[in-house]
Amino acid sequence: MKAALSFAGLLLVAAPLLAQRGTPAGPANPFLGKPEAVTEGEALYNQHCTTCHGAGGGGGEIGPPIVSGDRLDIGVSDAQTFNIITNGVAGTPMSPQRLPETDIWKVVTYIHALRATAIDNPLPGDVGHGEQVFWGKGQCGTCHMMSGRGGLTAPDLSNIAGTRKARSISDALTKQQHRVYGSGGAHLEALPAMNSYLPVFVTTADGTIIEGVLLNEDGYSLQMIGNDNQLHLFDRAKLRRVVVEPRSLMPTDYDKRLTPDEFKDLLAFLTRQGRSAPRR
Amino acid sequence: MCLGLCGTPAAQDRTPDQALISPDAKDWVTYGGSYTSQRYSQLKQVTAANASQLGAKWVYHVDGTTELEPTPIVANGVIYISGFNRVDALDARTGNIIWKYQRQPPSAARQRGTAIYGDKVYMATSDSHLVALDARTGGVRWDVKSEGGFTISGGAPLIADGRVIVCGNRPHGFIQAYDAETGTYAWTWSAVPTKAEDPAYATWGGGTPAGAPIWVSGSYDPELNLIYYGTGQPDPQWTGLARPGDNLYSDSIVALDVKTGMLKWHFQNTPHDVHDWDSLESPVLVDATFRGQPRKLLLQANRNGFYYILDRVTGAFLQGTPFVDKLDWATGLDREGRPIVAPGHEPTVKGTATCPSTAGATNWPPPTYSRDTGYLYVVVAEGCGINVITSSTAPDSATGYYEAPHAPWQAYVRAIDALTGKRIWEYRAVRSNHYGPGLLSTAGGIVFAPEQFGQVSVLDAKTGKSLWHFNTGDVITAAPVTYSVDGEQLFAIASGTNVFAFGLFDRR
Repeated sequence: MKAALSFAGLLLVAAPLLAQRGTPAGPANPFLGKPEAVTEGEALYNQHCTTCHGAGGGGGEIGPPIVSGDRLDIGVSDAQTFNIITNGVAGTPMSPQRLPETDIWKVVTYIHALRATAIDNPLPGDVGHGEQVFWGKGQCGTCHMMSGRGGLTAPDLSNIAGTRKARSISDALTKQQHRVYGSGGAHLEALPAMNSYLPVFVTTADGTIIEGVLLNEDGYSLQMIGNDNQLHLFDRAKLRRVVVEPRSLMPTDYDKRLTPDEFKDLLAFLTRQGRSAPRR
Repeated sequence: MCLGLCGTPAAQDRTPDQALISPDAKDWVTYGGSYTSQRYSQLKQVTAANASQLGAKWVYHVDGTTELEPTPIVANGVIYISGFNRVDALDARTGNIIWKYQRQPPSAARQRGTAIYGDKVYMATSDSHLVALDARTGGVRWDVKSEGGFTISGGAPLIADGRVIVCGNRPHGFIQAYDAETGTYAWTWSAVPTKAEDPAYATWGGGTPAGAPIWVSGSYDPELNLIYYGTGQPDPQWTGLARPGDNLYSDSIVALDVKTGMLKWHFQNTPHDVHDWDSLESPVLVDATFRGQPRKLLLQANRNGFYYILDRVTGAFLQGTPFVDKLDWATGLDREGRPIVAPGHEPTVKGTATCPSTAGATNWPPPTYSRDTGYLYVVVAEGCGINVITSSTAPDSATGYYEAPHAPWQAYVRAIDALTGKRIWEYRAVRSNHYGPGLLSTAGGIVFAPEQFGQVSVLDAKTGKSLWHFNTGDVITAAPVTYSVDGEQLFAIASGTNVFAFGLFDRR
């Protein structure tokens, strides 16, 4: 608990500095963007850090989690992480780590990758071929939009790698239950868009049936995008029937309907679509 | 009942340009309600007779924001609420969220609205990209970095002749155009001269032209293919030592050819300004018979306290009258509309009283013009300010202003006969700050008039009598809109971190 408080204190001190200078204070990470440093950093982390902070930074019995389950993570710069590892956190079990500076930077690079979204740590593969799979055999563009092209009945994927981790993207292609909750769990901090994209069939008073994807609903109104690619907004009292399917149309067997190479290349393509989230 | 973009066949057949040139009365398709910036709606379900039966229909909390300033856009039953990096699309009847686009990082910076063109809505980002979103899903249709290192401000984009017009303050005032379909860059107009051979350069007396920020959306005349924008104050802001001369094109109303970005004409309200009297108040376009002659007019109640009538074809000054009593920096306007400046109002180290204050006799929150009454309704602040500088010799002396103890600020909604400048009525706000929110008027004979201290009131457009009020519980700076969904007229206004919608109680 005390460690967590100190950590919060560091964040508070850091925030005005960041605001003033526009860039994180301290030296730049020399290994950023180097995948081999992530691998080496992981080995070093597993050797020196897991006892307290747990595997994958998820937290242990002594130390707090240093990677939250959220998609956009705690806003600590690499320089700050480096300082914490080098100097420790006074008044907590986090002691200064006696490691060569380059090793500390590799651990920092691994933690950066753990915290980052896919765009900062994209998966290997043939990106061009993956793009062909996206628009071709995978039929992703039938429902999803990507960089201004594609369908409207599923989420826009133009920034998918900027908002999700690679694992989350892979899960979405292969698992029915892949929803990722933030570190606050399922607690709502604001009214979200529905984002479940469930198929809906609406029968209007005159018997017309409109099919599409549900965007939102309450007891009095319903918002959907039809298969005609138009928005439809309804007063529920004027509808004869509403049927919402419990599961989205998103296939979750891409690891089977695609060859291993196609699947790998599709992930290589998807994990490169977007922009890095600015460090807070 | 289909209310979406699938609307009526007639609505569907119209081109995106037609939908902006002759907007459907049920929609609110631009920042100013229409290209004229009249903020006048032909909807008349809510009238002076039944306004007392208005009530709140829904409230939408825009999480992570502070004091919302955007004017929403409403089209085909969807209301779009924007910020830097963000657009929320709601069912305009119920307030239910349809989609939300959030680009990282979240921003609470002041932003004044979005724009729609066909199936796209437009948004500027805090890192100065211009983004077109699919109006149906929030998907990114295109995303371009602003050209030439210019930073796009929070003024709502304006779509004119198939171009997205954006504006900004840095490195100096500018207006830019991009193709609305593709995002392809078209042109930039700089509000200050950037080359010594430009005739306007000589109006800076050897100083470096700077300032003239542009952070409020403009108006558009499709027949003339001219866009009209106001520009802000010259820099340095509070002393003119380093910039002797008129300092073109600061504090001006400018008309630009929308195809080329070339300056067609300009009218400078406040030459050599040292009081920060931006001319960013909405230019209102009205066609009327003026002194016996049918004319295309441009009306502006300016921050400096004068109400201007210009010919918008040529930029010719036709008439100028004070719309506040507290005005002492000029004794009047000459035949060309140039102020006859009274001595003794330059900011000093000791402090100099000037009326109106730097906050202005009015400010950017937009006025409304009623086609029924022929009145321009303006949020007015009577009062004076004390301007101080830290050095009488430093050309970039830092400073500020404060409310003059002898003439505190008092806010009104004032009805002005648009063609004569004569004051018709005024509605006095009981509590006042430097300025109030924007206004709208309707064919129902009402003016929807929020107050900065959180009240929204409906006033009788003919008399100014208050007909209804509602306390939103937070600060209001934004301007209201009105629209109709499924036969029900609603009014929406951002207050604090929420957007409220009001309609008649007995409609459902």
